[in-house]
Amino acid sequence: MASQYTQDTPEAALLVAYANGDVSAGRLLINRLAPRLFAYASRVLGNTAEAEDAVQDVMVKLWQTAPDWQQGQAQVSTWAYRVMVNQCTDRLRRRNTRAQVTIDSIAEPIATLASAVETMTQTDRADALQAALGTLPDRQRQAVVLRHLEGLSNPEIAQAMDIGVEAVESLTARGKRALRAALQGRKEELGYDD
Amino acid sequence: MTIKQSEDQALDVLFEAAKNKSPTPSDAFLARLANDADTMVPDVGPGALARQSAPPEKTRVFASLKTLFTASGLSGAAALGVWIGLVMPDIVTTLSPLPSDAVALSAFLPGADLSSLSE
Repeated sequence: MASQYTQDTPEAALLVAYANGDVSAGRLLINRLAPRLFAYASRVLGNTAEAEDAVQDVMVKLWQTAPDWQQGQAQVSTWAYRVMVNQCTDRLRRRNTRAQVTIDSIAEPIATLASAVETMTQTDRADALQAALGTLPDRQRQAVVLRHLEGLSNPEIAQAMDIGVEAVESLTARGKRALRAALQGRKEELGYDD
Repeated sequence: MTIKQSEDQALDVLFEAAKNKSPTPSDAFLARLANDADTMVPDVGPGALARQSAPPEKTRVFASLKTLFTASGLSGAAALGVWIGLVMPDIVTTLSPLPSDAVALSAFLPGADLSSLSE
């Protein structure tokens, strides 16, 4: 039987359908939300297993919320990002001895990249950025990932992080500045020199 | 082009590369999420609706007792009235004196019509 849902079916409608016992609507929500949440959590936490746990916690909370969901109260994805941001913040805070990645410590992968500059690939650039992201303070990293990798608007990030839009702008600006500093002088090695 | 613009562009190149190499969840993990969703889906079938609309057990017990007491109270009072009327008809006439043209209660007693014939 053909699915009654399309790509345009709003997430809130899927969630309400799930709350009314429609498992297929729940699976569609998983397909829409889980990859984005997982990508965000992986970049912020830097650990696949921990990212999976965080996403699973968010999705379980979503299913628990489903029967009480009020259509129009918020975008489901914004709600999910908000819970995910809190999850990541808690997990980062709980890390007793978080491995602080310093600019010096990313020298090694970049040096490796330098030796392979002739074959520099998109993957190498992505890895270099991930390493540089690891040097940012937690909140800056979260804001930069949401803005520049997940593509959320500043008001959406403000809702997700429970801060004002100005604070978002400040966090992303400082985050980008810190990224530039981390990558400074290594443009040739990274293969994106003008 | 200024250095700042050049650096911004360079950063954009890196963001674009990272977006194209987004971490993706494994199939096994997605299956785990689907299993959670299947397990937690609210039960809203016809049976669930009937269970939701049925009053709680305690309420039903109280309702039954109330009906029982009401019925037994009414029938008990009626039986007592008939018994008093039969055993002590004088009390009935004393407590509620009949007007002179009223029919005496004894006229309704069994055999009253026969006793009047024998007089």
